[in-house]
Amino acid sequence: MNDKRMTRRGFLRGSSALAAAGWTAAGTGWVLRPSWANAQEGAIKMGIATDITGAIAPSGNANWQTAQFAVKQINDAGGILGRPIELYLEDTASDPGVAVGNVRRLVQQAEVDVILGGITSAMREAIKNPIVRRGRTLYIYPQLYEGQECTPHLYCTGPTPYQQCAELLPYLINETGAKRFAMPSANYIWPQLLNKWAREVIEANGGEVVMEDYFPLDQLEYSATVAKIMSEGVDHVFNTVIPPGLQAFTKQLYEAGYYDQGSLSCVYFDENSVHYVAERELEGVYSCVDMFHTIEDPFTQQLIADYNAMFPGTQYRFTAGTASTGMYRGIKLFEQAVIATNGDLDRDATSAAMDTAAIENGPGGPARMVPGTGHTEMNMYIAQSSGGSWNIISSAEAVAPNECG
Amino acid sequence: MTEARETTRARIGALPIIEGAVLVGLLAVPHVTTDFQTIIATRMLLLAILAISFDLCWGYSGIMTFGQALFFGMSGYAAALLANKAGFVQLWGIAPVSMLVGLVSALVVGWFLLLGKRTPTIIFVALGTLTASYAAERLVAGWQWVGAANGMSVWDFLKIGSHELEPGPVFYYVILAFLLACYLGARWIVRSQLGLVLAGMRQNEERLAFLGYRVQRFKALVFAFAGMIAGLSGGLYAFHEGFIGPGSMGIGLSTYAVLYGLFGGVGTLVGAVVGVAAIETLAFTLSDVDALKPYWPVILGVIMLVVVAYRPTGLLGLVVSRRERIGSFGIGARARKARGDGAPARADRAPEPGE
Repeated sequence: MNDKRMTRRGFLRGSSALAAAGWTAAGTGWVLRPSWANAQEGAIKMGIATDITGAIAPSGNANWQTAQFAVKQINDAGGILGRPIELYLEDTASDPGVAVGNVRRLVQQAEVDVILGGITSAMREAIKNPIVRRGRTLYIYPQLYEGQECTPHLYCTGPTPYQQCAELLPYLINETGAKRFAMPSANYIWPQLLNKWAREVIEANGGEVVMEDYFPLDQLEYSATVAKIMSEGVDHVFNTVIPPGLQAFTKQLYEAGYYDQGSLSCVYFDENSVHYVAERELEGVYSCVDMFHTIEDPFTQQLIADYNAMFPGTQYRFTAGTASTGMYRGIKLFEQAVIATNGDLDRDATSAAMDTAAIENGPGGPARMVPGTGHTEMNMYIAQSSGGSWNIISSAEAVAPNECG
Repeated sequence: MTEARETTRARIGALPIIEGAVLVGLLAVPHVTTDFQTIIATRMLLLAILAISFDLCWGYSGIMTFGQALFFGMSGYAAALLANKAGFVQLWGIAPVSMLVGLVSALVVGWFLLLGKRTPTIIFVALGTLTASYAAERLVAGWQWVGAANGMSVWDFLKIGSHELEPGPVFYYVILAFLLACYLGARWIVRSQLGLVLAGMRQNEERLAFLGYRVQRFKALVFAFAGMIAGLSGGLYAFHEGFIGPGSMGIGLSTYAVLYGLFGGVGTLVGAVVGVAAIETLAFTLSDVDALKPYWPVILGVIMLVVVAYRPTGLLGLVVSRRERIGSFGIGARARKARGDGAPARADRAPEPGE
């Protein structure tokens, strides 16, 4: 979950980037046709349903660019079993009501073979039905999220609460000596389920939660909360407040002098967070996601370099918190699934293959679907922000998603 | 009698012709479109029921309701809960429950807003319904049990017996039947003796009150009926879209209901259907033109502004006379019809709603 605000200028830049990328209008949404086509069997149709406009647009655009990037890589290498991928985009406009109608175009009009997308849990909840049940189409959800999504034919390629917390929270307690936790949160499902999980881990490791409060998503006034954090002697804030409340909260916490008393972690922070939180307020903050730009893995480094070469100077960077890593992983896992079915694009066949798909190289390292769960095993990294970059201080290989088992 | 029939036939109004044309058009839709377009059209039919409920309130009873989506959304949630928590998806149960939820919630809101000691002003009712709708949206957005801000997916299809109603032509005709029933019900109300009272209220509410009519009760009655059909469309909408969220009960959709009505032409009933078809088709087409994509809500807004500003009677105001919109009632009307004047002369001076 990573709400980002949308600016008019940002949108214009985004749209001109799309125009520059040579987009053709095909009546419904955007279609990116491969420059070559296999005459025998035709292209594999891939639908992307993401938030090009609206509050989540910065993440949505990053997802869309990542999809173009991954598909270009596959097509440049000869496609999947010699067949190119044709990309279809529909804007879900950060509005579940609008999204339901637009996603239908992918399913019923374009008749795509797979759909990737959705960033917020609300969006996933809204579009999974038109895709999976009514549309009988494979659905891949790329964002880190709250877990408990066990719908058949829906595959999650982002980290789950277990993956994000199982390493991070014990690390904080054992290595930084954090004991008294505060959980300020936005009031929706992701913080609620994540906190439930985090509380268990904290208490099992000898820490205690002294405060767990939920605020409306658009709350901008946190002085009472900050005062409570200061007076309760909290030494670690496990933050799940999201923008636009996030900016106000971190600022007020910083100004109250909290960082002399304790530390903060936020499991959606990544290289993009500096756009929302001032650098001084980010200093020393912890995060745990499936990739940071400081990673040593040469494949990941190459990936980031290639992405930046394809979109020079883009503001939509290839990061974990925007679901870009999950998007890339999802497309590559789907490629493996289609190879495994030998090109059979039938929903049930690709879904069965997807269930056991694995890739040796991906952003942050290898990944594989854990059979029967619809979730992905991947490497996780704990990092601390310093001077604008995230220094990896601990990593764990092949962390199980621990969902739907 | 024979010569009277002659003149009546000669005076057949524009409204029945439009109604007939719309019905024929709606019946033909699944035969001339793809399944995808039929699904889009089904959604429009559901919104048309919502728009009719607004037209009943504003076009006929002078209740400026900015909260019709409240009843729509309440029933949508009720239907979704029945499906998700109780596993009940039979149409014979979903439809009455949706209507009941809409009816009861409209009665409660109506009792509070319309049946107070003082006669409520239009502004009071508008703000009251708006607030109710907004408050409900915020409340469900924070209520975990109903999915909070995530809303709820309605996973199962609506069923008639053992037949699963998937969105498509069959679903379309089922909804069309419901729309027709709601339309005829609404038409019966506004052309009945109750409709005569409503027409009188539009002309001079105080005078009607002096004559002994409990004006507010009539308003509350219409409001409750409107809430009931809005509820029906909401419950069916949740199944058709497979999703219901806080946005479906908030001021966004409520405002759309107002726009559909004003755009198509209030006080005609069929105008609501035309309004939905026009706005939704326009929105659907404009949002597909890439050059216009970022601006289509603005363009849509400007078009609607122009229509509402220069044609307060909406699209149908272009073809339907004011006299015809008011209609004729009772024995006097029949007598006049026999003489050949169609409508009471005085009705010519009946004020526009909102005038």
